[in-house]
Amino acid sequence: MTPMTAEPLLSLQDLTVRFRLPAGETVAVDGVSLDLAPGEVLGIVGESGSGKSQILYALMGLLASNGRAGGRALFQGQDLLSLTEAQLDRVRGQAVSMIFQDPMTSLNPYMRVVDQLAEGLVVHKGMSWASARAEGVRMLDRVRIPDAARRARLYPHEFSGGMRQRVMIAMALLARPRLLLADEPTTALDVTIQAQVLDLMAELGRETGAAIVLVTHDLGVVARLCDRVAVLYGGRVMEEGAAEALFDAPAHPYTRGLLAAMPRLETTLTPRLGTIPGTPRSGGAMLAGCPFAPRCEARFDRCTHERPALHPLRSQGPGRRAACHLSEPAT
Amino acid sequence: MSVDLSTPEAAPPRGVSTLRLQVRRFAANRLAMASVVVLTLIVLACFFGPYAFPFTGEDADFDFISAPAELSWPHLFGTDEYGRDLLVRVLEGGQVSLTIGFLGALAAGGIGVIYGAVAGYAGGRVDGLMMRLVEILYGFPYVILVILLSLLLGGGNMALFAAIVFTLWLTPAVIVRAQAQSLARKEFVEAARAGGMTGSRIVLQHIVPNCISVVIVYGSLLVPEVILSESFLSFLGIGIKEPQASWGNLISSGTSAMDSDLRLLLLPGTMLAIVLLCLNFIADGLRDAFDPNDR
Amino acid sequence: MLRFIGKRLWHGGLTLAALVTLTFFVMRLAPGGPFSRNRKISPEVQANIEAAFHLDEPLWQQFGRFVWGVLRLDLGPSTRHRDYSVNDLIASGLPYSLTIGFWAIVIAALVGVAFGLAGALRRNSATDYLAGTIGVVGIAVPIFVIGPLAQAFFSLRLEWLPVGGITEGWRSLVLPILVLALPNIAYISRITRTSMIETLRENHVRTARAKGVGWRRVLTSHVLTGALLPVIAYLGPATAAVITGSILIETVFAVPGIGRHFVDAALNRDYPLVMGITLLYGSLLILFNIATDVVRAILDPRIRHER
Repeated sequence: MTPMTAEPLLSLQDLTVRFRLPAGETVAVDGVSLDLAPGEVLGIVGESGSGKSQILYALMGLLASNGRAGGRALFQGQDLLSLTEAQLDRVRGQAVSMIFQDPMTSLNPYMRVVDQLAEGLVVHKGMSWASARAEGVRMLDRVRIPDAARRARLYPHEFSGGMRQRVMIAMALLARPRLLLADEPTTALDVTIQAQVLDLMAELGRETGAAIVLVTHDLGVVARLCDRVAVLYGGRVMEEGAAEALFDAPAHPYTRGLLAAMPRLETTLTPRLGTIPGTPRSGGAMLAGCPFAPRCEARFDRCTHERPALHPLRSQGPGRRAACHLSEPAT
Repeated sequence: MSVDLSTPEAAPPRGVSTLRLQVRRFAANRLAMASVVVLTLIVLACFFGPYAFPFTGEDADFDFISAPAELSWPHLFGTDEYGRDLLVRVLEGGQVSLTIGFLGALAAGGIGVIYGAVAGYAGGRVDGLMMRLVEILYGFPYVILVILLSLLLGGGNMALFAAIVFTLWLTPAVIVRAQAQSLARKEFVEAARAGGMTGSRIVLQHIVPNCISVVIVYGSLLVPEVILSESFLSFLGIGIKEPQASWGNLISSGTSAMDSDLRLLLLPGTMLAIVLLCLNFIADGLRDAFDPNDR
Repeated sequence: MLRFIGKRLWHGGLTLAALVTLTFFVMRLAPGGPFSRNRKISPEVQANIEAAFHLDEPLWQQFGRFVWGVLRLDLGPSTRHRDYSVNDLIASGLPYSLTIGFWAIVIAALVGVAFGLAGALRRNSATDYLAGTIGVVGIAVPIFVIGPLAQAFFSLRLEWLPVGGITEGWRSLVLPILVLALPNIAYISRITRTSMIETLRENHVRTARAKGVGWRRVLTSHVLTGALLPVIAYLGPATAAVITGSILIETVFAVPGIGRHFVDAALNRDYPLVMGITLLYGSLLILFNIATDVVRAILDPRIRHER
């Protein structure tokens, strides 16, 4: 539908998220710049507390009340961060939708599923409740909820976790958004149905032409679905690139650590998985050096004093970038 | 190898520091700490204050009948229409109210904890029966129950005490039962059972101690409830009777003398309000300290 | 739903039966009797009077007589108020008690919910602090202290409203209603505020905001139901609190309602009147508890689907 142009659908420019806490201010997202082309699937990977989910909340204007977003987030040329709540409501649930982490609590327990689906269409498109409900049932059918017409009239507690997440997907895609934000959509689900739900989401995303930002800590998920990956640590992008290229030749010690910690078929003979020593850094005051330095095995003097900039890795093709003094081109 | 399961399992090191953390959180709550100080002062005043005066609250001083509150020795806040010293009567009434309050909360809490722990641990039909009884008692209007019981027991302080305790053990029982139910499924209780520990010892050594923080939080709410019950029954003329003073009956006689002399009402009423206020702030502080998710 | 109500009614009936039976025997077992204070009358006269009220019969027979009376909606004669039946006494007192209790609950619910919502939506604002202060005062200062103070100030000092009694129509009822409402305003605003703050943090509210349906709609369709459920659950206990409170209120403000009757009857061992009012209070409380459960079940499908 949208012609492929050089213009990105979403462009994060120096996005920061800070939280005011009793103990002082903490920085959850620290100057993240990323572009997303229409229809592209971008994975944002990081350990818990790396600030990855906060990026999505900032875009949706859903940060906790003590949180503030800075920088710019241009969506189709419009800065989402500068919109008022009322202006945001013309974007949220229409051009941009979001799927949340915990399907068990993310649906309204007091409202029939079909009404939760139809609500957005009624409010945004001025449809009648009857036709909006019919549309909702059609969408439930598309996310492969068996016997959708009957189940639509049930309440969320009558659905299993996997089914609820399908409902969430249906709800998010109902308005045919240009951008779908998914915050660890399968972490709360049984391992056996995680793949089903993810594949369904990607498939429907492709069909509707929506670009997807998928936040996860699961590299397997990224490898399976994403065109491009950004690795986040301590609120900063450590490394970025096309999924395949990044997995083949990780440039940042942190990415290498993550990959070593991932179980793979071909490494079943190795008795133990790799671990990254230390505890993940989550938020905190601005650091002078690299946030990963305290845990990095390749650390040297400069790492603790000087913040490595995100720089292109020319040898690895277009769009490959890393923030590590070791891979910086000599100047 | 036999494992000695009769000794309570060693407290994990985290337990100690959790308690210390909770105490520290409570100490950081200024309102609650101020309430502790004020309450302590009032308790000390009630129990030791009367010794500072050369008479008791039941001695009539015929030279000073309905003396005004002029803060002059010996009757600082004046006397009532029988010439009895108001301040001393209020302090003595405080002894009664506070004693009933704390002992009553202890007794009601104790009964509730045991009952709830047994029901929650036993489960099944026993639990169903025990909780049905609680449910039925919950359906009773509280006033009717407490008034009838104190009449049945023949009036007087002990009857009043028993009636209040009997009506207030239900809430702690329900709360502890819920806690015990989840504890009964925990591994260390399973282990104790597998090791042949008897039910009653499991309840006393594993269930009850692990309910302590819930009990402290809700027990602290019981104290003001008991004091309120006592004073309201005494106010209605069912509880503690003249000439013995209690805050309830002092407020009642203050009310009847209201049009001529408001201070007969104000002094006991203010004391009661301050004590209830402090107890509520302390209970809030305990809840915040022991159960920070609850905010 | 009908089965749910039926089951609750059945349980309520059992509770009521237990309450009435217990009350009956506890009253009889309590020391003293309706005529024992009156030492001036001769033993023969006393025996005659007791026979007239069937107090000479064995207990089980008296109980049977009472139950039979209840089934015919006849609660018998009062032993203290000669020439009055319990039905008469309740009929004369109930309108006052009901009026005061009804308006106290309505005012407490409206004001309490309004304060609670305002406090939760504008935390730490002036309204929030005002509501918090009222909450603290309402919970810590008992009715029987506030009541007399209100009389002293509004009636004796300012002479705006009558001190007590019922001779001045609605003006007589203003203070009793407000004083009785106060502690419930405190509880309800506290409950509303807490549950509102909790609900606003819930994930499904975030989902609703992400749908972009507008803040007003998020509040009305996604927040209020969940936030008000605990308030509705409190209406059962609130009824009990109002019954307790009305006994105090009627004593303080000299209102001839059934609450004051109850205390007098209990102190004077007026068995039939105690039984009648117990039956009334018990039914009222049980019906309110059932109504509360039904409303909660209507609003919350998870409660409805439990069995």
